[in-house]
Amino acid sequence: MHSTRRKGGIGMTRARLGLLASALAFVLAAAPVSSGPAAPVRGGTLTIGRPVDAVSLDPHFETTAPGAWIYQMILEPLVTMGPDMRIRPSLATAWQAMSPTRIRFTLRRDVKFHDGTPFNAAAVKFTFDRAFDPRSISRWASLAGPIKGVEIVDDFTADLVTTEPYAPLLRSAAMVFAGIVSPTAVGRLGADFSRRPVGTGPFKFEEWRTNDRITVVRNDEYWGPKAHLDRIVFRVIPEESARMIALRTGEVDMVLVPAPAQLATFARDPGYTLAQATGLRVVFIGMNLTRSPLSDVRVRRALVMASNRKAILQNILEGAAGPSDGILAPGVFGYKSLGLDTLYPHDPARARALIQEAGFRPGPDGIMQRDGIPLTLTLITARGRYFKDAEIAEAYQAQLREIGVRLDISFLEWATVFTMVRAAVLDAHMFVLGWVTTTADADYTLLPMFRSDQVPPRGWNTWRYFNAEFDKLVDQARVNLSPREREELYGRAQDMIARDIMFVPFYVTKEIALMRSHVKDFVPHPIEYNQGFQYVWIQK
Amino acid sequence: MMRFVARRLLAMIPVLLGVILLIMVTIDLIPGDPAALMLGQGATPEMVAKLRASLDLDQPLPVRYVRYIARLLRGDLGRSVREGRQVNTEIADVWPATVQLGLAAMTLAVAIGIPVGMLSARRPYSLLDNLVRVVSLAGLSMPIFWTGIMLVVVFSLWLGWLPAGGRGSWYHLILPAVTLATPSIAMLARMTRSTMLEVLREDFIRTAQAKGVATRGVMVRHALRNALIPVVTILGLQTGQLLGGAVLTETVFAWPGIGRMLVRAIFARDYVLLQGGVLVLAVTFVVINLLVDLSYAYLDPRITYQ
Repeated sequence: MHSTRRKGGIGMTRARLGLLASALAFVLAAAPVSSGPAAPVRGGTLTIGRPVDAVSLDPHFETTAPGAWIYQMILEPLVTMGPDMRIRPSLATAWQAMSPTRIRFTLRRDVKFHDGTPFNAAAVKFTFDRAFDPRSISRWASLAGPIKGVEIVDDFTADLVTTEPYAPLLRSAAMVFAGIVSPTAVGRLGADFSRRPVGTGPFKFEEWRTNDRITVVRNDEYWGPKAHLDRIVFRVIPEESARMIALRTGEVDMVLVPAPAQLATFARDPGYTLAQATGLRVVFIGMNLTRSPLSDVRVRRALVMASNRKAILQNILEGAAGPSDGILAPGVFGYKSLGLDTLYPHDPARARALIQEAGFRPGPDGIMQRDGIPLTLTLITARGRYFKDAEIAEAYQAQLREIGVRLDISFLEWATVFTMVRAAVLDAHMFVLGWVTTTADADYTLLPMFRSDQVPPRGWNTWRYFNAEFDKLVDQARVNLSPREREELYGRAQDMIARDIMFVPFYVTKEIALMRSHVKDFVPHPIEYNQGFQYVWIQK
Repeated sequence: MMRFVARRLLAMIPVLLGVILLIMVTIDLIPGDPAALMLGQGATPEMVAKLRASLDLDQPLPVRYVRYIARLLRGDLGRSVREGRQVNTEIADVWPATVQLGLAAMTLAVAIGIPVGMLSARRPYSLLDNLVRVVSLAGLSMPIFWTGIMLVVVFSLWLGWLPAGGRGSWYHLILPAVTLATPSIAMLARMTRSTMLEVLREDFIRTAQAKGVATRGVMVRHALRNALIPVVTILGLQTGQLLGGAVLTETVFAWPGIGRMLVRAIFARDYVLLQGGVLVLAVTFVVINLLVDLSYAYLDPRITYQ
């Protein structure tokens, strides 16, 4: 579609996403189908309403969507991840794994930055050196893995080198944070670069009025297929209902993060188009294995069987999120369906039996008890940190009540929840948390969340799960360069998690954009900030 | 007079020192480590430690306080944690939008509230007076948020006369200014009415009427000037209300001002930016109250400043 059909090197380019790619269409609603064989029209402005302004347009300062939505059109990485989550060429035309710690990129020639600076291996080296400068606090450096730096082979060949074997490396290079910056512009602008980024992308930066709007204009010298739109304006409209009104009055053509409650109404209206992709964030209720009786796997299985996740999905999430079957979202490399619905189907009777197997008996008030102590669990959650977090906790409370388990919920400010789950000792049985696999590779989630040495404050092993066999699997998968073998290793690791279950997954987020029907060819993307605005054209 | 102003300006210093301390302590009381929260999921302990050190967060409060004051004396509000921009620049960017909105709302409040209050006081308990009292009570009780959304629904969505949000032309200013002014209009109208009624019962008014000054002359020249003294006091207090209301109004109307900046700083845990913003608001409030005090002298010759 938009990518050049050049085949890259061997091995990694052929990364199969496994059977899933075909079995699960990640992109639920592909780009809006135009009525009739309408050809794209050049020109026009697309105005987008979104809840928050960018913090910075420099990937080193901002790794969240509000900034990344914009700089992904200005700055281009060496390779990109398509909506099918496969790696595609961008500023690099080919790549090849030279050794377990080295990938060689063949760079595109005759590309110029927006300021006229020629793109070459020196610019690539400059970008990575800047990102991994130990003096800078770059979030992206913490996501990228053990990268050592870039070595220049010749003007149009560069090697990305790691300190130790790191299989997801190519995905690191494909993240929007790895967008190549113009060395001259950084030298000239200094700290101001974050307000006026200069890259090679299909759009150029035009203007930023803080908390009001950011505008980008088409780059007519772009090396690839040029954009149709003259400009894109990102307006900030924090209030949800005000955002939807602006769409109705035509002040904006598209809304990001639309009001979930109004989606159904707009979806029925032919004047509007809804585009969505299954995202990469899973929201779940986690269990603390150090607190009795959650150390007993029978109790944990009962807690999963007590949950009616389907009902919650239908009645609380109202279609604004998708079903989840594990700790990874389907778009993540290495995802395997845990089959929770067959392993632990919603079955209150079976759940009660399991609790009784663990030595509990129904008390006079219907609450299970052991040695006269009622089975009461504590849960901490924020309100509104994740979509419908508090409502889910309340529904789950009622579902546990049915199997004779009392759940006491503490609604706390997000900072407090965050501090509690990051502490060395977790003073609660359960917690509501969301986790996004930012790199789209299982390594980013399975290692910090489940490896024995990753107990907080070091990592995110918030359940305190210790399994030496599991540790071995994720360690092997981290250094193995065969995608097929990695998938197999991660599959086995996830089977262990399913067996020892320590969380109840409730949903996978959806990336949703709502637009007026004259907006054509928007390409939704599972990765929050890779939304395809640059392909849009406007039907007159 | 000048000596009074100088004294008042000097008195501002301890107030502001106290305000800075209060902001710092409050931020310390917010649960959670700002550095860890800012870096979020996937941050290593080393990164958090690095950020903490770069923000002086590893220093005890007195040290941070002294350092902040020292920087402040050089006119440096520090750098925004999230964006690395100078807080001065950041505030300079958003300040005009809030001043414009605040002045527009203030003007509306004075231009509508005071005349309406006078009309009400002219014939107490007439139909007009009762109407004003009911409507102003409603204006006082409606939450700003709701007023804003209602105005947008009517004027943008149904009638299509005015834009629903953003900043650009004068049209963009109308709805947010009216929204922000609504409680102040109501407050000023009620205040003007009651002080007017009080003043109209005074002896000097009776004298003026006996002298044969026309009702209008009595109302405007004699009564209004005296009635305005408490109204001006309220006006000063309303400024504080306006600054608070600006946060909500700016959010509803996507108005890029200091209120929005503060909300964003809170959510991003960018407490350097937060500190700078709150400080600027505090200074504004103190200065406006000084102006209010000075205008008493003009309204009431009995008040002199020694």
